[in-house]
Amino acid sequence: MLESIVSYGLAVGAVYALIGITYNVMFSASRVFSFTAGMLGMLGGVLGALFITKFGLPVIVGLVLVLACGALLGIVTEILTVRPVLKSIEQHLYVLSTLAFALMVQQLTAIEWGTEAQPFPRLIPIGPGWLDQQFWLPMLACAVTIVGLELLYRKTLIGRAFLAIAEDSYAARALGLPETRLRMASFALAGMIGTLAGFTGAEMLLAFFGNQSILNFYGFVPVALGGMGSNRGAVIGGLALGLFQQAANFLVGGIFAAVAVFVVFIIVLLLRPEGLAGAATARRV
Amino acid sequence: MSISRRQILAGSAVSAAALASGFPAPAIAQNEPIKIGYLPALTGPSSSTGVGINRGTQLAVELINKEGGIKGRKIELISRDTQSDPTKAVNAVAELTQRAKVSMIFGPLNSGEALAATPLIARDKVPMLHPCWVDELIDVKKYPMAFRIAPTNTQVGAGANYYVVDVLKLKKVAVISDTTGYGTASVNTYVPMLKAKGAEVVYQNHIDAANPDLKPELLRMQAAGAQAIMPWSVNAGFLSRICNTRGAMGWDVPIVGQTTLGSGQTKALLEKPEYWNKVYSNNFRQVCYANGKLPPRAQEFVDRLKAAKIGFGDTLLWWVALGWDGGTIMADIFKNAGTKNDDVVAYMNKVKGWPGIYGTVTWTPEQHNGFPDSEVVMCEVNSLKDGAFNLAPGYSA
Repeated sequence: MLESIVSYGLAVGAVYALIGITYNVMFSASRVFSFTAGMLGMLGGVLGALFITKFGLPVIVGLVLVLACGALLGIVTEILTVRPVLKSIEQHLYVLSTLAFALMVQQLTAIEWGTEAQPFPRLIPIGPGWLDQQFWLPMLACAVTIVGLELLYRKTLIGRAFLAIAEDSYAARALGLPETRLRMASFALAGMIGTLAGFTGAEMLLAFFGNQSILNFYGFVPVALGGMGSNRGAVIGGLALGLFQQAANFLVGGIFAAVAVFVVFIIVLLLRPEGLAGAATARRV
Repeated sequence: MSISRRQILAGSAVSAAALASGFPAPAIAQNEPIKIGYLPALTGPSSSTGVGINRGTQLAVELINKEGGIKGRKIELISRDTQSDPTKAVNAVAELTQRAKVSMIFGPLNSGEALAATPLIARDKVPMLHPCWVDELIDVKKYPMAFRIAPTNTQVGAGANYYVVDVLKLKKVAVISDTTGYGTASVNTYVPMLKAKGAEVVYQNHIDAANPDLKPELLRMQAAGAQAIMPWSVNAGFLSRICNTRGAMGWDVPIVGQTTLGSGQTKALLEKPEYWNKVYSNNFRQVCYANGKLPPRAQEFVDRLKAAKIGFGDTLLWWVALGWDGGTIMADIFKNAGTKNDDVVAYMNKVKGWPGIYGTVTWTPEQHNGFPDSEVVMCEVNSLKDGAFNLAPGYSA
């Protein structure tokens, strides 16, 4: 039982964590909470199965194409759903525009791909047990992503520019940083991370259009638990969510497992509204 | 030339007198085609059933017309693709009943659309033929002109229960479903039926179909002493995970349930082909192989399909047979009762033992569910050949 809780819990948790990071990367650049994160995760699995299984492309080529599609979708999201509403961000119009875009893409996927779950290929034929890719591949992707983002933000000029935009977009613009292009690049990066989450988790979650709503919601939980904008918090929150969800599956089972997750989620937010890793913000009085 | 009011009145009086005297209708009306409204879902997310059924219906109408139609009148099948959308089905009903004035409606072929369309067809007093399973579609008081040529969901569940309890002689059963309306309603209906047959439901639960790991659920079933698993869901992902988990656990209990267990989508998601062993899904006696052979009526039908070069290897034989039965039974009804609605319904109320390919149909004024319980059987899902399955072990041929 413990082995199953840890293996599945960490693997699913890593997928949730990556979706949480996708939310964060888009939010940092735009202050917009884009509901396209689950869509990107869903498409990672569907496009991966399409390129590798249906088109018979090599795994590496399939992965590169999936990431490219993710980046493209990220850019399209920024242009179509975020840029037009940034002027009136206080009115939360982005909730409608990003959600509408995500739902539209989901419906198109259902029509073109089908409404039944389809298999995702086993990329590395080793296993069973812990060696099975469905367990370690999402965790590897999560580790690579978090290390890559840390290096990007701390060691490169463009990464520092991302941080500057996230910290204070007005000041960054005053210093001559191209805010629009950087925001677009952030959405492209988020698109790649989101599709990577879906791609690496698809052997477990299958290539299924319905994964969008699940990933949208369960990917949001680590962001709320870990603190908005905190990638480390998202990783810790995601892994904790996966482990708790799997433990609840064993202990209470059925639909009560989902109920247990939400109860704990609400309790944590009541006790620490800023999230487990987030800092309390000062309020001007 | 001007027409005076007096001339119009005189003309009207003559027309009224002619109608009252009941002179014969013009010969052209005798040769008009018999219009049948047809509502398949040929596109959209739930269209695989409609595409299969449509092959049988089209073939039936084509052959009837080729042989001269019904007493010299051709059948005109007015088909409207519902696109798996209840709204489109409802719009099509209005067109078929009010504008096209069809003599009967076959469909909608999907339950969701049928639930939306049936009250409207009943309101417009047009006879209708159902191929769907949802129990609520047939109610002789609410919908006196609606008849069904397929089993109900209750019959389908009873067929599975019969197989587990009476054929396999297993008494301890785990019954689970996903959290959809279909899944929860099925469990709530079938569990009391199982208990009434003397079975002990040792485990019962509704499970989130998106849950990627069902091992905890199966471990609980195993610990409860379940001898069979009965999952009620149309979600291929959920059903394949049950098969995969059972296989990985090395737990040798039968899985008995709905037709999706035997679908190509479920098969595609299996980790190993052998995980489909001892999995039995609903099917229908007339279109199953017994000792490697189809019943004579079904074999004749398959030969006919092959002669007409209609493929069915990519679909299910019972879907195509259901469409064929729909087309041919309507032709029989019009041949014997004419096209007046009241005559049609009066005739349908007396149909007894109509020999369909898919099933034998019997209707009475009190019972418009025409499919016999005895023809709802279980089949071996890993035996699919040319769109049909072997009867599950334990049934007599």
